[in-house]
Amino acid sequence: MRRSDRIRLDEAVALRRERFGALAYSYRDRQLLFIDRRLLPFVSSDGGRPLGEIADELIERGELQEEALPRLMTVLEGLRRKGIVHVVV
Amino acid sequence: MSSYETLRQGLSAPICLTWEVTYACNLACVHCLSSSGKRAPDELTTAEARALIDEWAAMQVFYINVGGGEPLTRPDFFELMEHALQRHIGVKFSTNGTLLDRATARWIASTDYLDVQISLDGASPEVNDAIRGGGTFVHARRAMELLAAEGFRFKVNHVVTRRSFDQLDALYELVTGMGGQLRVTRLRPSGRGAMVWHALKLTQEQNRRLYAWLRSHPDVLTGDSFFHLSALGAPLDGLNLCGAGRIVCCVDPRGDVYACPFVLAPEFRAGNVRERSFAAIWRDSPLFRRLRSQEVGGRCPSCGAYGRCHGGCMAAKHFTGASFDDPDPECVFEPESGPWSTVVPLPLRPRPLRPVPLR
Repeated sequence: MRRSDRIRLDEAVALRRERFGALAYSYRDRQLLFIDRRLLPFVSSDGGRPLGEIADELIERGELQEEALPRLMTVLEGLRRKGIVHVVV
Repeated sequence: MSSYETLRQGLSAPICLTWEVTYACNLACVHCLSSSGKRAPDELTTAEARALIDEWAAMQVFYINVGGGEPLTRPDFFELMEHALQRHIGVKFSTNGTLLDRATARWIASTDYLDVQISLDGASPEVNDAIRGGGTFVHARRAMELLAAEGFRFKVNHVVTRRSFDQLDALYELVTGMGGQLRVTRLRPSGRGAMVWHALKLTQEQNRRLYAWLRSHPDVLTGDSFFHLSALGAPLDGLNLCGAGRIVCCVDPRGDVYACPFVLAPEFRAGNVRERSFAAIWRDSPLFRRLRSQEVGGRCPSCGAYGRCHGGCMAAKHFTGASFDDPDPECVFEPESGPWSTVVPLPLRPRPLRPVPLR
């Protein structure tokens, strides 16, 4: 996943906020996933803004450490492969 | 915090809940969890049921497991299911298949996000019908054929017992051969199941073989019901914990809310939706708060397998007279209890199905 990518949730995925972040449930293949709270701003962005822009804002507000970003991008890529999120083209 | 800890402390809403929509059933299976047969006179009305669905939708309950009784005996069944689907709640409904006709199969196939589980408790009429009633094997199979003809990937739910255990491979072949998916679940000593528990529960040897069988059949669903067997090695697929009042619950036909579908007993009743909103019961009932703060004590936490089975099933303990802190009655490390024979006479007989023409 690249900083310039915009992502949105799959239309068959429901996202429910929980203490730890959120639960994502895919009605397409009935899979349930735990979404860490650090991923929420990206996963719930609805394709409106590039990932890098969201990350910069979180880092500036002290809500995300820059070193954690590569790992988050990898996890987001995993969610894309599972069909939970899609890259907006 | 581990995902186990997160889930043990409860969620903002159930991931899924079981909704027993009626106690009416045209069968009387010997192991029925809800002792179903006759409709209760004070079951939720259509308007009450629709309002409950609206509340679940607002809470973002992801899906509901609809059972009974036989859901298809409820005249407003299709209306309620359509309403749930329109409110973006997934539906998994369980049926004995006897009332499932071509029109129903067509309706099922036309829906999105609706799963159907047909109950079948053996790969032959001899084994299945001794538990579910004479004629039920033929009708369940007919229901499978009707759904298959519509191109619908149905599921077959099988409560595995010591009588059916040796038929697992045959059942798998039967179901997958028709394009379906097999789901194997655990017998619980709940409802009428308490009366046949000793006659039908798996032997320790069968439990060990079942664990290996499930590990080698990852396409077989289990509804997470064998987490007590994860003590034998690598955890089985699923969350591997008791979700009662934490991530699941059960609403009965009268609107009583229970911790799970296997504990329909007054001590596990958290409230009634006619007296209090479902959301308030879920969030604040003393019973659910207690379950979310409780961990199995006793010998279990010092066992090397505790991290995989977490002490087993609360319902199985309760209805066998064990305490919450005791090991699961089918704990794989406990000595064998009960009979050894795989065919033990049943103290109950199922009511045979009244002759119904197959359409």
